Amino acid sequence: MAAVIDAVIFVLTPFHFLFLFIGVAGGIIVGALPGLTGSVGIILLLPFLFYVPPAVALIMLSGMFCGAIYGGSISAILISTPGTPSAAATVLDGYPLAQKGQAGKAIGVATIASTIGGIISVLCLIFIAPQLARFAVRFGPVEYFALMVFGLTVIASVSGASLIKGLLSGFFGLLIATIGMDPVMGYPRFHFGVTNLLLGFPMVSVLIGLFAVSQIFVELEGVGKPQKVFNQSMGRVLPTWKEFKGLLKVIVPSSLLGTFIGIIPGTGGAIASFMAYNEARRFSRHPEEFGTGCLAGIAAPEAANNGTTGGAMVPLLSLGIPGDVVTAVMLGALMVIGVRPGPLLFRQNPEVMNALFVGLMFAQFLILGLGLLSVRIFPKVLKVPVRILFPIILALCFLGAFSLSNSIYDMLVAFVFGLVGYAMRKFGFGTAPVILGVILGPIAEQELGRALIMSHGNWGTLFRSPIAIFFYVISLFSVSYSLKSGLRKRKPRTTG
Amino acid sequence: MSDKVTARSDVIVGLILLGLAILFFALSFTLPVRRAGLSPTTFPRFVTIVMALLASGLVVQGVRKQRAFAGEPAHRTPEETDRRRQFAFRFLLLAVLGIGYTQVIRLLGFVVATPLMMAGTMILFDEKKWYRIILVAVISTAVLYGLFRIVFRVPLPRFDLW
Repeated sequence: MAAVIDAVIFVLTPFHFLFLFIGVAGGIIVGALPGLTGSVGIILLLPFLFYVPPAVALIMLSGMFCGAIYGGSISAILISTPGTPSAAATVLDGYPLAQKGQAGKAIGVATIASTIGGIISVLCLIFIAPQLARFAVRFGPVEYFALMVFGLTVIASVSGASLIKGLLSGFFGLLIATIGMDPVMGYPRFHFGVTNLLLGFPMVSVLIGLFAVSQIFVELEGVGKPQKVFNQSMGRVLPTWKEFKGLLKVIVPSSLLGTFIGIIPGTGGAIASFMAYNEARRFSRHPEEFGTGCLAGIAAPEAANNGTTGGAMVPLLSLGIPGDVVTAVMLGALMVIGVRPGPLLFRQNPEVMNALFVGLMFAQFLILGLGLLSVRIFPKVLKVPVRILFPIILALCFLGAFSLSNSIYDMLVAFVFGLVGYAMRKFGFGTAPVILGVILGPIAEQELGRALIMSHGNWGTLFRSPIAIFFYVISLFSVSYSLKSGLRKRKPRTTG
Repeated sequence: MSDKVTARSDVIVGLILLGLAILFFALSFTLPVRRAGLSPTTFPRFVTIVMALLASGLVVQGVRKQRAFAGEPAHRTPEETDRRRQFAFRFLLLAVLGIGYTQVIRLLGFVVATPLMMAGTMILFDEKKWYRIILVAVISTAVLYGLFRIVFRVPLPRFDLW
């Protein structure tokens, strides 16, 4: 109990609370603006993270994550364009309700559902993550290597439309990670005589380039295209008590569904929100109302996608493997500031974890407060012109890359990877698998090296641990599932 | 992108990635080999071999698609062609501007180079009002300088032309 009180005091310290507020408010804005996702938001926070204690950095990042997932619903409701992929299902009923002159109520319901979804998922995180971490403390290099192999199979799940392109992106990331010192012997590899390459590419710059700078080029493509105009009337914000009681029957199961889906690596908010929407329609007494501006059609996906936030942080915090794209970027950001997520984090820094749990809980209430109080400000946020926003983001990207080691070379790397990231997106290659490769590749190689040193070079040691075998089996299952769904996606095109 | 263009780009990108995998695989032979345990060569070779296989798969897939869409004409309106040309020009200028900024900042310093870079980017994003360009570029630079140089004490590059 004393630890919880300490954590509450830590989070409520004005300086720390300010950073949580910046994270949540920034997340809502970033999520609301189409084109900017939670990943980009986390990357834009990077320059600030170096100057705050790890626990504050962690609560700010988590605030950004939750805020961005919620923020995506605002543009989905107001302009029929989901700010983040996880808000795609919210468009189905949010936009029709906004067109009926009830945009305020749509945002109000989305805010309340997001808050409840977030609270339920944080509670699940608090109960599940420490148990999983306690179990994972027993892991040695063999089990860790198997776990990293499983983490790398997430590449297949975040591949997008083409599995082969997703896998190629992931292996491109692994190839980038081989440049620089080999993690076992410390021998420099593939540096081409360039001194800066002796330590490999700076991970932060690669992250900034692939996610944020590449987005600037994507936005440049839209210059000259007419922007969406909207002028919805807001009306009443809060639902009536009767409506709220009815919505609870949808919000609670959707939140639990979202949390469960979030825990499974490689899934994410988009899948959870569509599943919750379908389930809500299936169990509804009036399924015909869905798609016409039904409140349950907004509450279900919003509760589910915010439910995934706590869920996705379970494997991230307890095992050190990302649950989705945003947590993959978060993992990179945490490693940069010297926090290595995993079971040892719970044992070595319990105060950091307590602060995170309490911070996440406060983040949900901040979402509720900011969401309901800012309903009339949101339309103005969406009207910020791209021609002002993106030059500022570019300057922030350069600053973020520079701040890591005060190096102009890092700025150049970020910009060049921005060009690479744009080319990848243009040709249908996802950037998320690259990040997974860059982050998890060196860890997998290091653990494999350790396992082989301990077994005097016996490769058979990799298959002697039941836990490792379990991870290999679920890795195979994960890849075969992705292959199967990839083939299923292709089928209608080839036959049609 | 149309299916025909995608097929062609798949072949080109596949060949580039195949070349990259072969290059790194060949370079791995310059690295030392350990008799026991994990050599610095093991992981890169595994990665490059799988990458080469996947890239070959993409090339084959692209060639097949190209054959399937061989007879189809490329649909592109004159307006679309014009817009693409304009974007290519803006893209090239932004690429030059970004790389140029990283080279010039060590001479001009953050305070001089950043507003110039921001103004250039705003122009490329089609901002036409000059007073807005100056205001946004100067105020944003001042805010970022204040935050990072004064609050966070980041040693931002300074004017160093002479």
